[in-house]
Amino acid sequence: MQTEKVTTENGLIAENLCKNYGSEATVDNISFRVKPGQILGLLGPNGSGKTTIMRILVKILQPDSGSVTLNEVPLEQIPANQFGYLPEERGLYPRARVLESLVYFGTLNQMPARKAQVEAIRFLDRLGLVEFTEARINQLSRGMQQKIQLVASFLHNPPVVVLDEPFSGMDAINMVVLEELLAEFRSNGKMVILATHQMDRAEKLCDDLIMMNQGRVLIEGAPAEIKKQFRESAFYIEADEPLPALKSLKNIEILEENNNAYKFISKNQTRDISLILSQIDKRERIRKVEVFEPSLHDIFIRLIRQNSGVK
Amino acid sequence: MKNLWRIAGWEFRNRFRSRSFYFNTFVSPLLFTVLLTLPIFIFRYEPEISARLIGVIDLSGKNMSNSLQTDLNQFYRLKNQNPEYMIMKVNLNNNPFYSQLQAEYDEIRKARDSITTLFEAIRHERTSYYQQTAIPNREFLMQSSYEKLQSTREEKELIEVELERFRANMDSVYGTDARQTADSLLMARVLDAYLVFPPSFVNSGDMEYHSHKSAAFLETTRLEKILQNIIIDRRMANDNIERIKIRRWLKPINIRRYQLEAGTTREWNFYAQFYGPLIAVFLLFIAIFTSGGYLFSSVLLEKSNKILEQLLSSTRSGILLAGKFIGFGCLGLVQILLWLILLFLVQYSGYLPADQVSYLTLNNLALFILYFVLGYLLFGGFFILLGTISPTVYDAQQYNQSLRTIAIMPALLSLLVFSNPEGQLISILSYIPPLSPSFMIMRIPLSPQSLSSDIIITIALLLVSGIIIMLLAASSFKNLVLLQGRKPTLSEWWNAVKFF
Repeated sequence: MQTEKVTTENGLIAENLCKNYGSEATVDNISFRVKPGQILGLLGPNGSGKTTIMRILVKILQPDSGSVTLNEVPLEQIPANQFGYLPEERGLYPRARVLESLVYFGTLNQMPARKAQVEAIRFLDRLGLVEFTEARINQLSRGMQQKIQLVASFLHNPPVVVLDEPFSGMDAINMVVLEELLAEFRSNGKMVILATHQMDRAEKLCDDLIMMNQGRVLIEGAPAEIKKQFRESAFYIEADEPLPALKSLKNIEILEENNNAYKFISKNQTRDISLILSQIDKRERIRKVEVFEPSLHDIFIRLIRQNSGVK
Repeated sequence: MKNLWRIAGWEFRNRFRSRSFYFNTFVSPLLFTVLLTLPIFIFRYEPEISARLIGVIDLSGKNMSNSLQTDLNQFYRLKNQNPEYMIMKVNLNNNPFYSQLQAEYDEIRKARDSITTLFEAIRHERTSYYQQTAIPNREFLMQSSYEKLQSTREEKELIEVELERFRANMDSVYGTDARQTADSLLMARVLDAYLVFPPSFVNSGDMEYHSHKSAAFLETTRLEKILQNIIIDRRMANDNIERIKIRRWLKPINIRRYQLEAGTTREWNFYAQFYGPLIAVFLLFIAIFTSGGYLFSSVLLEKSNKILEQLLSSTRSGILLAGKFIGFGCLGLVQILLWLILLFLVQYSGYLPADQVSYLTLNNLALFILYFVLGYLLFGGFFILLGTISPTVYDAQQYNQSLRTIAIMPALLSLLVFSNPEGQLISILSYIPPLSPSFMIMRIPLSPQSLSSDIIITIALLLVSGIIIMLLAASSFKNLVLLQGRKPTLSEWWNAVKFF
């Protein structure tokens, strides 16, 4: 795949994006940058503002303030076909045929019909759906329909691909296919923004991550950098009997508790375990103390709880 | 702009290939036409049935059964030319009491006939005595014949009184027993119905009709007509009026109706002139609601199956809506074109004489298309608006039903339009934009006068209201269509549309 119409290497830059619905801020001063060949992951619980950001990028919504530029061109001046969008809510024309649907979406993104047809067949072949080109959409399984909609989102070879929960509802094989596609996008210099709940995949695929809650950024950066920030304040303790005093400490966040084994993160990011241990009785019952590297999921849970004020 | 035509083409192609389009184009108008004209055919239809046996209990003494049979034979016959009605006088031959009465009555009548003969002979004899002045003992013979005549007259009068009394008694018995007999014949399905003519029938016209079948009561009109003629004949005979003269006087008139229109006169045909515009209203309704309905279902489908978000990432909401509007509008025009081709074929094959659709002028056709476009603009706007704000398909269908009811209302008032197409009420109703297309399409061919001012006013009102509704719909669509699963609040809706 060749990226078209990318004239400079500045990539996609969003600055101070804000969007309110009534008095409620859905997106609150969000900024990010995606360079060509980069994948940016947006992580956050439902209602954190990921979809709103994506809708702003593809011009379905207008931000209340802030700006977006693609290679220094303001978003308002960028043609729609420079973006490929896979919304979280999926759907196609149930009675239409596979190929004609894809050609329709391709032509809506300014592809010549013939080229759209050739590209659609090529992608269908790659995803193992070429024998269904003349089938009606409603004759296909849900998984197949998802793949077709995925193809519809990037058939026109846009420089920016925006995918909202692309792995949702996919089986393991198709997830691998999608990962390969995303890797291909990266190597072709596309800018990919994806929202997902699957932390392990986000960690694996994304160059940069933004963790969000209630429209605000909780943390951002490369996955490794984010994890590094929490690495030395994350501990694992195993004891012979339960440690209720540990759970009652206010300066730690218990991530996991299993058979008198506890995973926790120090809230004030203290790296001195002895300080923590000094606050609990039954210290003699502790068998094992380790510093461990928290997963993105652990960090995510911790940050969300912290941000929401939930213990 | 290219996307506009791509979307229009996509929507047009997909619906043009659908079965529902052909159903709406060919089957729905056919159903409407059949439903509209069926009552006329039913009214005029005379089913072929076997002969019906009608019993007669005649207490009028006017021998009604013979007259009835003769007249019924004259007017109502089966396809094989056999009489459709068979009249049977209900008799009581098997009733011993009545037979005995009958025998006694016959004896009294014989006695009355015998005394009448004697009375006439004496009178004749007395007349001859009176004329022959030269016969001997003339005075004596005159006197004795006078006495005989007197006594015979008295005897005759007494017998006649007795006969009359007996006859009344017999009629009473007959009236009661004959009904019982006739009822049992009805129950045994021998008779289809029976008639009772009371003694006063000729004067009062009162009579009875009995049947066990509900459907038989629908046929009394035929008998009524025939009996009306018979009774008039009898009354005229009683009053010594010449029937032929009366028939000539009562010969019905036959009005040929001509309508003056745009300087030409054409013969007026109720079915063509009334039902034609009414069918045109239904066709307009079908065309507007086929296109509008597709627009509605398209918005609902794309909203409910979540495809809309992907479409909106590729094209602006205004272009998307305009493309849909044009695509489905063209479909409506194709539908009208198909009807015109069909009409041409029917006319060309001779099934529909040209003079019966003389109102189908180019001018009227252009107005039909214009009202379709404006009606579609207005109702299309409503459909987009309702499709956008409806949280579920079920809610949307409720709104759809209400819109259809409003649009078809003029057809329900067709008789009012027919009786006075230029009436004030109809004119005012025509100015209400959702009602304008249907009312105007009905009024234009029915009105003998030009409706130019009403046409201009309704077109202007439709255009303005259509544009306003469409702008409101487009604003709502742009701002609210991605609101899933709930209806926008009034303030949300107002915020979405306040700047159009």
